[in-house]
Amino acid sequence: MLEIKSVSKSFGELHVLKDVNLNVAKGEVVCIIGPSGSGKSTLLRCMNFISPPDSGEIVFDKVSWRSYRSKFNVLANLRYEKKLPQLRAEIGMVFQHFNVFPHMTTLENVSLGLQKVRKIKKDEAKQVATKSLEQVGLSDKLQVYPDQLSGGQKQRVAIARALALNPKVMLFDEVTSALDPELVSGILDEIRRLVREGMTMIIVTHEMKFAFQVAHRIVFMDQGKIVQVGTPAEIRNTQEPRAKAFLSSILE
Amino acid sequence: MDNSVPLFDFAAVWSSRALLLEGFGIAMFCATAAIILAMIIGLFIALMRLSNSRILRAFAFVYTQLFRGVPLYVLVIWVYFGLAIVANINLPKIPAGIITLALLNSGYLSETFRSGILAVSVGQSEAGAAIGLTKRQIKRFIVLPQAFRIVLAPSGNQFVDAIKDTAILSIIGVPELMRMAQQQADLFYRPFEFYTTAGILYFIAVMGVTKLFTFIEKRMSRIGFTNSSQKLTNVGEYI
Amino acid sequence: MDKYDFSWRIIQENLPELINGLIITLQISVAGMAFALLFGLFFATLRFSQYRILNIVSNSIVQVGRSLPLFVLLFWIYYGLSLKFKINFTDFQAGALALGITGGAYMAEVFRGGITAIDKGQSDAAFAIGLNRMQTSRLIVLPQAIRIILPQTVNIYVGLLKGATIVSVIGVADMIYVAQYVSLETFRPFELYSFAGVVFIALTLSVASFAWLLERQLSGKSRRG
Ligand SMILES: Nc1ncnc2c1ncn2[C@@H]1O[C@H](COP(=O)(O)OP(=O)(O)OP(=O)(O)O)[C@@H](O)[C@H]1O
Ligand SMILES: [Mg+2]
Repeated sequence: MLEIKSVSKSFGELHVLKDVNLNVAKGEVVCIIGPSGSGKSTLLRCMNFISPPDSGEIVFDKVSWRSYRSKFNVLANLRYEKKLPQLRAEIGMVFQHFNVFPHMTTLENVSLGLQKVRKIKKDEAKQVATKSLEQVGLSDKLQVYPDQLSGGQKQRVAIARALALNPKVMLFDEVTSALDPELVSGILDEIRRLVREGMTMIIVTHEMKFAFQVAHRIVFMDQGKIVQVGTPAEIRNTQEPRAKAFLSSILE
Repeated sequence: MDNSVPLFDFAAVWSSRALLLEGFGIAMFCATAAIILAMIIGLFIALMRLSNSRILRAFAFVYTQLFRGVPLYVLVIWVYFGLAIVANINLPKIPAGIITLALLNSGYLSETFRSGILAVSVGQSEAGAAIGLTKRQIKRFIVLPQAFRIVLAPSGNQFVDAIKDTAILSIIGVPELMRMAQQQADLFYRPFEFYTTAGILYFIAVMGVTKLFTFIEKRMSRIGFTNSSQKLTNVGEYI
Repeated sequence: MDKYDFSWRIIQENLPELINGLIITLQISVAGMAFALLFGLFFATLRFSQYRILNIVSNSIVQVGRSLPLFVLLFWIYYGLSLKFKINFTDFQAGALALGITGGAYMAEVFRGGITAIDKGQSDAAFAIGLNRMQTSRLIVLPQAIRIILPQTVNIYVGLLKGATIVSVIGVADMIYVAQYVSLETFRPFELYSFAGVVFIALTLSVASFAWLLERQLSGKSRRG
């Protein structure tokens, strides 16, 4: 369903991703782990071109996507920029810092994409959004602005905002890292619910226990490369020195 | 001091109240018209400065630098006398005054708008992009509404400045408050009383506008904005 | 109207006088800035005083100072005050004072802002690692306050520099004034005012870019630190 083919990216001199390849099948849950700065977030952001890869391609639903920027053909650039949102609308993404829109109510946050991207009429969009918010347990907060929500609630809004568009894949980037400890499990439960529903997901996380629980496969990244891919059991008993060191440092 | 003449005599001021109030009205009109124009121009210039086109960026940069650097005194003379000499454009006094103030303030406001837009975190645009909004939609529904809230306070300050700046329009003969005060002060030979009165009127106008913007800000904060850490402060530009 | 034929030689011929005017502009803006720093510091201090009445008084004065157009202040001081109270200000003194009052009202804000912006946690942290009072203010508080205050101060000077262009209305012989009377003799207002305008733009922009560089330099330091 989602294929990452020799994706590379650098920020100036810093090679953040070096020829990364990964295949994610429909219904699969893949957790990406690795030390800080290893390029996990960047890889995730390359998948929907929020930060476009320097080279390589993303194949999504049999359609190939590459970064494109012509120096001369402004029209072609515009056409490309018009097309990208089509890809992004099919890929939901949830961020570490929520990024809910502070100037919109909970309901408006969720219905914005339905109205502007899916072109659904306002009333209908509101209904879909309400349903989506109910599923994450926020039916009593529809008219509330984000500044009156807890971190956990904001993150639920962000999840509902992504899910409302009915994406084929969900990307999660350390979605519990900015939360108070007591709120973490609630968000993880939301993701577990999606696992049960068979959603295809790629999850960057530092919650090892959770990753080993829900993942079909675990990807270990270090220094811009995928060092090892395997089932939770394989990774737990890895003999690869870097993965081993990382896991032992994190599991004491 | 001559005892037959009272130290303070505001009777003359009172007898000229109609003229002073007319001047006050003209000053407020000029400032309001100028600031509205300046906001429109300023927004366009700000968007140009943030655009991908190098030419637009360069133009906008020169524009802001020029109008932020030029003193009002010089600009008003250029617009009123200079245009007439060079291009044979004879603007009436009040429009010339309004255009001058609009040009000057658009330079500042475009910078304010630009930093307001930049102050909206990248994460906001990314979240917009992630749900599939186009660049234009992101700008319209996500970035600009938030930037608007951020630039509200500095725009209020700019308005205050525009009001104060109308006094300088008296040098091209715009019959605003300062001009009226000058004429009446000379007529009655009571400069202290008339300039004090003018000062009080400017003070009232400035306070009024300040209160108005504080009120609007309060209203806005009721609808979901408490993020005042993003507020811009560029106090020095407001003299 | 006939086509206006430009004669830029007029600038060259009157250059010494124009430069004298420029020097007066610089002098009056510097004098005004000196007043502004004094007033600003004084009123900012009052605002931190423990007596509420002093807070209120200084607050109001700052408020009034910020609300009055420089133009009004100039006339009020030079014609109003001097006639009423028989204080004979020279035009230069009146101009510098007016600039000082306007600038001072803004400076008071800048000083206050700079001091309050520094989180109390900073000095707590400094005490916690064993620095004494002197060291804390010298190494922790002042560097951070200056980082905030300095660029804004330069910005306010830019404002005063621009404000200084209008002191000719009370007869200060600054560059604009020179441009004015030379053009009365020569009928070359456009060239003369344009020259003065360009000089002012260059002047204010260079000082403003200096403030900008300063700001970047200082905030860059804080990011690295
Ligand atoms: N926009 C950017 N500009 C410059 N460098 C960047 C940018 N984004 C990321 N980097 C750098 O790329 C490297 C990888 O960053 P990335 O965020 O992908 O790491 P990560 O694995 O997600 O780390 P963490 O676990 O801390 O989130 C880091 O060294 C980071 O400093
Ligand atoms: Mg990351």
